[in-house]
Amino acid sequence: MSFDAEKEIAKLWAKCQAVQDENRRTFYQCREAAIQMAGDGADENAIALKAWEIKGKDVAKSYLPRIRMDKPKFVENIAKLFVNSWRNQGAVVTVEPGADENEVFIVWERCPWPTTAKQYGAPMAEDLAGCDLALQTTIADVALFSNRNLKIETTKAIPRGEGKCVRRLWLEQ
Amino acid sequence: MARQIFEWDYTNYPGAKKYPHVFSPIQLGNLIIPNRVKYAATEDNLNSHDGYITDEDVAYMRERARGVAGGLCTMQGVYMDERRFGQGYVGQAAAWDDKFIPGLKRIADAIHEERAVANYQLMHCGRVGGVETPFCEGPSFLPQRLRLFKPVHEMSHEEVEISIQQHVDAARRGVEAGFDVMEISGIVGYLISNFLSSYTNRRTDEYGGDVYARCKFMTDIIKGVRGAIGPDIPLIIRICAWEQLDDVGGNTQDESMIVYQEAVKAGVDSISVTVGWQESIVPVISRDIDFGTWLWVPENAKKHVDVPLSMAYRLFHADMADKAIADGKIDYWENCRPQIADPDMPLKYLEGREEDIRWCVACNVCLARLFRDAPMTCYINPTCAHENDPSYYPQPASTKKTVFIAGGGPAGLECAWVAADRGHEVHVYDDREKLGGTIIDAGLAPYNDDELYRIIDFHKAQCDKRGVEFHMGETLTAEILEEELPDTVVIATGADYLRGNGAPGFDRDNVISLTEALYETKPVGDRVVVWGNRKPGIGCALALAKKGKKVTLVGPERTVGKDINPSFRWRYNMFLRQNGVTSYNDCDIAEIEDGRVIIMTYDGHRVPVEADTVVYAERGPSAFAAELKAAAAEESIETYVIGDAVVPRGLSGAVHDGYKIGLRI
Ligand SMILES: Cc1cc2nc3c(=O)[nH]c(=O)nc-3n(C[C@H](O)[C@H](O)[C@H](O)COP(=O)(O)O)c2cc1C
Ligand code: SF4
Repeated sequence: MSFDAEKEIAKLWAKCQAVQDENRRTFYQCREAAIQMAGDGADENAIALKAWEIKGKDVAKSYLPRIRMDKPKFVENIAKLFVNSWRNQGAVVTVEPGADENEVFIVWERCPWPTTAKQYGAPMAEDLAGCDLALQTTIADVALFSNRNLKIETTKAIPRGEGKCVRRLWLEQ
Repeated sequence: MARQIFEWDYTNYPGAKKYPHVFSPIQLGNLIIPNRVKYAATEDNLNSHDGYITDEDVAYMRERARGVAGGLCTMQGVYMDERRFGQGYVGQAAAWDDKFIPGLKRIADAIHEERAVANYQLMHCGRVGGVETPFCEGPSFLPQRLRLFKPVHEMSHEEVEISIQQHVDAARRGVEAGFDVMEISGIVGYLISNFLSSYTNRRTDEYGGDVYARCKFMTDIIKGVRGAIGPDIPLIIRICAWEQLDDVGGNTQDESMIVYQEAVKAGVDSISVTVGWQESIVPVISRDIDFGTWLWVPENAKKHVDVPLSMAYRLFHADMADKAIADGKIDYWENCRPQIADPDMPLKYLEGREEDIRWCVACNVCLARLFRDAPMTCYINPTCAHENDPSYYPQPASTKKTVFIAGGGPAGLECAWVAADRGHEVHVYDDREKLGGTIIDAGLAPYNDDELYRIIDFHKAQCDKRGVEFHMGETLTAEILEEELPDTVVIATGADYLRGNGAPGFDRDNVISLTEALYETKPVGDRVVVWGNRKPGIGCALALAKKGKKVTLVGPERTVGKDINPSFRWRYNMFLRQNGVTSYNDCDIAEIEDGRVIIMTYDGHRVPVEADTVVYAERGPSAFAAELKAAAAEESIETYVIGDAVVPRGLSGAVHDGYKIGLRI
């Protein structure tokens, strides 16, 4: 039987992207269901943010077993966990060094989440606040678990039209 | 004046001469214990859902008490809070009220009836103990590292004080129930260890702070318990000498030694030295850990405290324990799993019957069952947790039969000795020259898998003692059946390794069996694909990787090692990673070509992998077993099929099947 490697890889790649799309669509489908069930007058933004917060909490659960405080580059290693998660979701993300070992920047050159938000009619402000809340929630649990004063802040954001998302991750002394 | 509860004279026992240190007395506090054997606390999930002691647990404990031959026998840790905080296991014994005293007394009485010393244990499971509550209790809130466990509620100052009082009250109940020794468990991530550790204790009140402050919860309990039990009952604590939590900021070993000193100052008479938490990322007691690995830990602790120290943790053998006592590394010998696997293990040492010991294979199935809320069972000991059921023990057969067993592996041999024990005339046939069947091959896998063969040593000794006749190098054929006409045939021929799944290329010369690969009776190239992602395939992949081969493991199971219990499977995942073995799970081989194998994912994607050799390690029903069954049916012979010949499983299925059929014939 002949084997066409290029065709196999193309098929797998297409499937991987479809899974990534489905993952985001599922999030927005559930968001919409929750808003509809909440009925008229419900605070849509608050419902959406709750979903992002739950996502952030669950992401933290998968990071905690991977934390190694006895290894160097603690902050960079945490940043790499984010990089991996977002790459799996279809984003283009890298880590860039900061002033010293206690600071890094996570740079999203491209992220598919705002596009999906648009498709489901979610405001960009919600997308930004939601993503920020997820990251803050994850970092809060990671900080609590590791007993280190780890912080994250957004300095640039695609939903604000700034071309890329940049998050500063640092250990506050 | 020190007192002794039971007199034991070991002078005429061979084991006492061979292991003079193990079988010499030891004084704990004011109590003299006739020997230096301690059965360590074992939760068994056998008690009632509301914490009352059951007949099953009493029978379980009675057997272990007999086994320590006058030594110390510990009951499982009790939980102490009516709200069930601290309960780590659904069948855990409770002691939060006086109403539990009569049940606890049954355990103390059973231990005493075997003339052993009864040790009672207090165990609040802390951040890993909330099986019946929506959350667990701990000194500080911090997220769980393992998803298995529930969120932690940070105990208020008042709740801490209540918990201390609960320990004291439960200790008093233990004394009233008749126990001779009191033990506090602060191991593996339970509440006391949570307070002691810099990882889990972030409190800012008097129970948190530096290591001395973190000790306060433990020392308050020790002092309170001592007050409740009086000066004459020895008090033991089980605490970590090394938490193995450096990766999350746990106590340093120096801090742990301060903890030890504080425990002694507070009034304990002895410490049971432990290593590691459930949350540690390094293994402590699985089979890959060599015997005696942790002996340096109590040896180091000895430099810091001067009370008697004991230790379990893969210290399975009396010779090692005896030497460790002689060398001053420990003062007495503790064991848990060896006596789950064979309750009489120390007694058999004493009586010079070492060949009769059924050895634990450190698979951790017993633990895995507890975490799944199931009653404990043992991989290798079919009677474990059935001690109260007489039908689980051999009774003389009403009619003596001639029994022919095809297969000298673990299933056949287990069946052979039990059937012979009941009075049958038993013949075992095997085409190999050596007993053991596939366990011989399994022993070629790395990470101490050769230990598995010890069950065969046990079987052989039991068969020899009961006159089982071996026909080695001889296959039990239809002709033999026809000629000899035995009353019963037991087919224990194991499973067949399947040469392929019908995909093209499995008939090539470079496709070899697991045994051909392991014994290198056929050439094995540098790049190998092993087909079969269950235990045999994994063992073979690891053995080949250790020889420097680049190995790819392919198999239909969704996850690698689906047939290995979860408490041990993570070890194999790690071994595969460490040895650079790539796994394709939920996949199959689509085609074998020159120099490569095409792997097919479950959904039809095809991945090429370079390979010069393909090893088949998938198993299916034994063709020979089916033939023999048909031949036996033709002669109307009573027939049983057992072990992997029924369906490919593993050592445990083989032993349990063999035992049960041995009882039934
Ligand atoms: C099934 C099982 C239940 C256990 N239950 C307890 C317990 O109730 N209290 C305790 O302090 N340790 C408990 N342990 C830990 C053992 O007492 C012992 O420290 C550990 O198994 C290592 O010793 P070993 O290598 O001799 O098995 C348990 C261990 C097992 C395998
Ligand atoms: S289940 Fe496994 S680890 Fe537990 S006692 Fe039995 S053989 Fe040993």
